[in-house]
Amino acid sequence: MEKQFTLRSLLERCLDFLAAIGTLVSALSLVVLVSTFGWLVYGRYILNDSPTWVEQLALLMMITITFMSSATGIRERTHLAVDIIPMLCGPRVKTVLRLICDLILCGFGVLMALKANELLQFTWSREIPLLSIPEGVRYIPVIISGVLVALFSATSVLSAVILLLTDSDAVLHEKRSEPTNKAEE
Amino acid sequence: ADWKGWNIHGKDYPVGIAMEKFIELASAKTDGRVGGKVFHGGVLGSQGDAISQMQLGGIEFAGFNLGPLGNAVPELDVLSLPFIFKDMEHMHRVMDGETGDVLSAAMRKSGIMALSWYDSGARSFYNNKGVVINEPADLKGLKFRVMGNPLYVDMVEALGGNGIPMAYSEVYSSLKTGVIDGAENNWPSFESSAHYEVAGNYSLSQHLILPECICVSVSAFDALSDEDQKSVKEAAVASAVLQRSEWAKRVEVSKAAVLKSGVKFNEIADKSAFQALMAPVYEGAVKKNPILKELIAGIKAVD
Amino acid sequence: MGLFILLGCFALLLVIGMPVAYALGIAALSSFVYEGVPLLIGFQRIVSGVSIFSLLAIPFFIFAGELMLHGGIAARLVSLASSAVGWAKGGLGQVNVFSSMLFGGISGSAVADVSALGSLLIPVMKEKGYSADYAVNVTVTSSVAGIMIPPSHNMILFVVAAGGGISVSSLFMAGLIPGVLMCLCLGFVARWVAIRNNYPTEKFPGWSVVLYAAITAFPGLFTAVIIVGGALSGVFTVTESGAIGCIYAIVVCLLVYRSLSWQGFVTAVKNAVRTTGMVMILVACASAFGYMLVLYDVPTELTKFLYAISDNPIIILLMMNLMLLVLGMIMDMSALILICTPIFLPVAAGLGMDPIQFGVMLMMNLGLGLCTPPVGSCLFVGCAIGGVPIQNAVRTIWPFYLAILVTLMLITFVPSVSMFLPNLLNG
Ligand code: NA
Ligand code: NA
Repeated sequence: MEKQFTLRSLLERCLDFLAAIGTLVSALSLVVLVSTFGWLVYGRYILNDSPTWVEQLALLMMITITFMSSATGIRERTHLAVDIIPMLCGPRVKTVLRLICDLILCGFGVLMALKANELLQFTWSREIPLLSIPEGVRYIPVIISGVLVALFSATSVLSAVILLLTDSDAVLHEKRSEPTNKAEE
Repeated sequence: ADWKGWNIHGKDYPVGIAMEKFIELASAKTDGRVGGKVFHGGVLGSQGDAISQMQLGGIEFAGFNLGPLGNAVPELDVLSLPFIFKDMEHMHRVMDGETGDVLSAAMRKSGIMALSWYDSGARSFYNNKGVVINEPADLKGLKFRVMGNPLYVDMVEALGGNGIPMAYSEVYSSLKTGVIDGAENNWPSFESSAHYEVAGNYSLSQHLILPECICVSVSAFDALSDEDQKSVKEAAVASAVLQRSEWAKRVEVSKAAVLKSGVKFNEIADKSAFQALMAPVYEGAVKKNPILKELIAGIKAVD
Repeated sequence: MGLFILLGCFALLLVIGMPVAYALGIAALSSFVYEGVPLLIGFQRIVSGVSIFSLLAIPFFIFAGELMLHGGIAARLVSLASSAVGWAKGGLGQVNVFSSMLFGGISGSAVADVSALGSLLIPVMKEKGYSADYAVNVTVTSSVAGIMIPPSHNMILFVVAAGGGISVSSLFMAGLIPGVLMCLCLGFVARWVAIRNNYPTEKFPGWSVVLYAAITAFPGLFTAVIIVGGALSGVFTVTESGAIGCIYAIVVCLLVYRSLSWQGFVTAVKNAVRTTGMVMILVACASAFGYMLVLYDVPTELTKFLYAISDNPIIILLMMNLMLLVLGMIMDMSALILICTPIFLPVAAGLGMDPIQFGVMLMMNLGLGLCTPPVGSCLFVGCAIGGVPIQNAVRTIWPFYLAILVTLMLITFVPSVSMFLPNLLNG
């Protein structure tokens, strides 16, 4: 029992680390995005020469921010959800509902990673205009996002299962990265 | 078969009218074995998306512009070269001839089959600086919005201006407020985008004459019997005749409306100076994409 | 049957607590499978859904709002509002509404408005003897100004969902009068409730204090001038003005106010990408969902349905508002903009309503939904900050709802409320 918990907390820490990297990547993308547009305006008014790569690079950044930080959102449970029914249910039912959600999400993540990889290969030979990099690059953040979504929801499934098996009350903690977890260690 | 059709333009635009005609005729000629629905206004996605969707089997027919299709079929890039055609009639002779066949064969390899060629007019420069463009020197120092293809940036630079790729949705306000000095498009788009309200000089450079096509996916087409294939092909040819006449009408209506609102318009008597400046642009394109060399020669050979 | 699968899956997933974005995506993919459309196209729609240039303004507006909050601009706006209108009856209620108007003029988000102004004002109001539910009610309902008064990232979502062809600048202008009108109505109600409950009044601090507060707040307020003015004058495009607004806010907070710490900056960036991710994954998945709605021809069917009930435009408009209100009560705003715009806009256009007026009506309507139970993120955040149970807050909130409803009816039936400024702008 003791050993299982240490392993779990190690896993949790790894996942927190992954989530932190996801946030870092999207944060950097946002900073780059803002700077790029600053450069665009500077180029047009001061240098009298507009950079041509801004539009396509910006779209690439946007995809990165969207898919990286939405995956982190799964870990941090910041996504908008309509949780009226789960709130009305007992703790055990609530845990089961969350388990079902996480299972479906895990499947979605796997599917997203696989299909985005197919799309990457499908579009690799084409070029993004004005950037001269393969079109398929757009799908890299999507693949990573799929893997992260699958990982994050799979561990959530795992802890829900353990909880259902070991604890008769089966109350899941709302947020796992909060002090409650640290107390467990 | 229940075919889904993609069209970026509105239902009442020449392409929309012709695609409706195509599917109606195809259905009649095949006793309903081929039928379907056209989704207008780009509701199924951008052209880039639609090309992939056709290759992946999501849509069966579409009215594609051959410019962006060059991303999937490199041979088509020859049509995107500025000043490659002398005028609309020259383009018709080329596309209905040998070069047209070479291009269809190249498209077929990528899973997209061109059944017939549609018109989408000729793009010309317009500006809000009151400049009447008669020779390349007139573009000097002007900022023109161009489509997001390095070729067009190079084209404007070669002519002495400044080419700025910009999202189409931002062009109107940018023209109005002087972020850019001009842009380029055909008469109907010049009118429908209301750019004529903010750019009052239109100079008929016709630097870009990009045909469109009614395309079907190769897999959907090959699944038909020989007889049905023939009928579908006939329907496409008939729809192209309709499209070209609708387009010509549309151009006249737009041109009249725009001129009535006070836009100044000039023809360019001699375009050879513009064409001469394109040599380095062509060279660059051939260097990137050697198959263009023979195609360029083929087009030049047609009078 | 296909449509039933699409909507059924979506409803089922929502009920069991699936995040709205993923519920949209998974429901869409199920009906892709059912219809035999390759799944690759589903994921292509999801990625293409966010590869739209106009959407780039959204992270910029969100980031600008975060920078204002963590860089000290928001606090200075509250000081200005407090010295300017705090002396009126129900003073802090008025301050709250007025601050929302100022802050809403920069941040495009109602939830940011509640969390920023709520955490500044609710504690002060409680301390001065206002009841907690009053403080929460005013904060929550006035936050709708963040959506109405330009810039507003929800308006950009609307323009994108409408498929382009609507000018963002015009829509921004269209929201201004309704936004201010709503604040006036709310201010009136705030005063009325305050008089009934005999809440205290602040002393007028003197003109010099007002002037000082105005001068201190000015550099921060200028962010709004840059964003909105830059876009309207055409010095920048809308997207560029968002980015320049962020850069300006950083410079002001760093050099003028000297109140933006590295930690504050990091928090602002983190919160901005988190919110952006939430909104944009909704956009992405809604795009796959919308693909199926188009294939099933839902907008045409809905139009037929509404016209079957009545062909009186007033009744149809009221029905649309009612449907939007109900949907707004149970779902979040951005998802609803993306789902409802393609469905309802054709109906409104059929009645001869300008798409811009429809957009303003949609914003106000769904904005109200943010303040209502059972699902209302503004109400939730406000109650959490005020430490008030939701049922308590809602018991006394109805006069405030009424103020928003009155404005909503004005927007719906008096086109010039929305259209006056855009028409003026476009000559
Ligand atoms: Na706003
Ligand atoms: Na609500």
